[in-house]
Amino acid sequence: MKMLTGVLVAIVGLCAAGDTFAQNTSPGGWLTPQWDKPPITAANRKPAPRRSLAGMWGPADGPGAGTQAQGVPAKPNNGKPENQLPYTPYGLELYRSHKALEGFDAVLPSEDNDPRNRCEPLGMPRENHYNVRLTQIFQDDYKVAILYHYDNRWRVIWTDGRQLPKVVEGGVDIGGELRERRFFGYSVGRWVDDYTFEVQTVGTMPDDRVWLDSTGRPISEQVRVTETFRRVDYDTLIWSETIDDPKVYTRPFETMRLPMRLHDPRTDIMEYYCSPSEQENYNKLFGNAASGKGAP
Amino acid sequence: MKRAFVIASIAAVVLAIPLRVAAHHGSAAFDTGKRVTLKGTVVMWVYSNPHCLLSLDVTGEDGQVVRWIAEGQAPNVIFPVGYRKDSFKGGDQVSITVEPVKNGRPLGRILQVVLADGTKLGAASSPPANTPAPPSQ
Repeated sequence: MKMLTGVLVAIVGLCAAGDTFAQNTSPGGWLTPQWDKPPITAANRKPAPRRSLAGMWGPADGPGAGTQAQGVPAKPNNGKPENQLPYTPYGLELYRSHKALEGFDAVLPSEDNDPRNRCEPLGMPRENHYNVRLTQIFQDDYKVAILYHYDNRWRVIWTDGRQLPKVVEGGVDIGGELRERRFFGYSVGRWVDDYTFEVQTVGTMPDDRVWLDSTGRPISEQVRVTETFRRVDYDTLIWSETIDDPKVYTRPFETMRLPMRLHDPRTDIMEYYCSPSEQENYNKLFGNAASGKGAP
Repeated sequence: MKRAFVIASIAAVVLAIPLRVAAHHGSAAFDTGKRVTLKGTVVMWVYSNPHCLLSLDVTGEDGQVVRWIAEGQAPNVIFPVGYRKDSFKGGDQVSITVEPVKNGRPLGRILQVVLADGTKLGAASSPPANTPAPPSQ
C-alpha cells in the first residue's frame, strides 16, 4: 500500500511539473525564456517544496525587473531625499570619486570609471544588482550554488555548518590563518525555517575594486551582506538583501526585495558577458562619439 | 553631413514618452524624450556585447548621405523582443525611430524598427519592470 501511495505521489508530481512547463516549446529543443507566464493565483498556486531553492529563476515582473540600472531597487539613485544612502564622510567621498553611467550623477559614455567597463568581476554584492535575469540555483547536502547570468559567474553558499570567517586587516581569519579576500567573498547559509534560507557573506574585495551598484554607490571590504531567500510557493522566491558596511554607511539598509519566478529548467541561456575587444569596438563605433570625442 | 542631420532632426517627432530601462551604458548621452525617424539602407548589423549596433545610410533632402549608427542593448536583452542575429543584412531598406544623442552627431538608440516587409520591432532594450515581454518567440 505504501509503495502504491509513493508511486501515485510521484505520478502526481510529474504531472504537476509537466503542467508547469507545458507551454514552453522551441524548434530543435533549444527552449527560449518564457517571460509571458500567467500570474500565480489561488487557482494555480502549488505548495513550496521543503528546504529547496533549486531551479531556474527569473525576475517575476519581467526580464527588465532585475536590470537595476538606477541602482539598488529599494533605494534607486534618483536624487530623491528618501533614497539618499546614509554615507559616512569616507563613503560620501568615495561616491563622489565614482563616475557612473547610470543614476542621478551619470556621466557620458567613455568618461566613466566603472570597473565593469574594464571587465572586472562585479563581485558581491553587485552581481545581485546587475542585470539579474535567468539565475540557476543548485543545491546538495553541503551547499547551495548560484549561477548568475551576467559574465557566467557563480558562487557557493556553504550549508554544512562551517563558521563564517572573521574579517581582519588584509583579509579574513579562518582557524587562525589569514586568507585572501575574494570578489564573491565567503558565504554560509542556514534554513531559518523550511521555506526561508538566510545567507551571510563577508570577506569581499576592497572599495577600489568593486561598487555596490551601477550608479557608483560604493561598498568596502568591511561589508557584511545578509540575503534571505523565501520560497513562498512552488513558483515564487523572494530574494532580499541587506548590507551592513560601517566603513561606508552609518547604518545597515535594505537594498532589494526581488520576486523571482520559476522557469523551465530546460531553458537555454544566451551568453551575456564583458569582452574587452567588443567593448573597445563599441567605444570606437559609438561610445566615444556619443561623448563628443573624435571628429564629428 | 550636418545639413542632412538638421533635416532629419526637423523631421523628428518630439514626444515626452517614458522610455525603456537603460541596461548598460546609461542615458546621459541621449536627448531623452526626443524621437527621430529615419529611412535608409542598412550598412552593418553588429550583434555583440555590450551593445548591438545598426548602421544605416540615410539620404537627406539635399542628396547628401549621412551614416547613422543606432544602438540596442546586448543580444540576450533584445532577443526576447524579437531582434535576431539575422534581423538585418546589408542593403535592407528599413525605417527606424531613434532617441538621438544630445551632441548632434548621427547617433541614437533604437526605439522602433520597421523592416522592408512591414514587420515592426520595438525598442531594442528591456521592457520596464511590471511589463511582461512579448510572447516567447
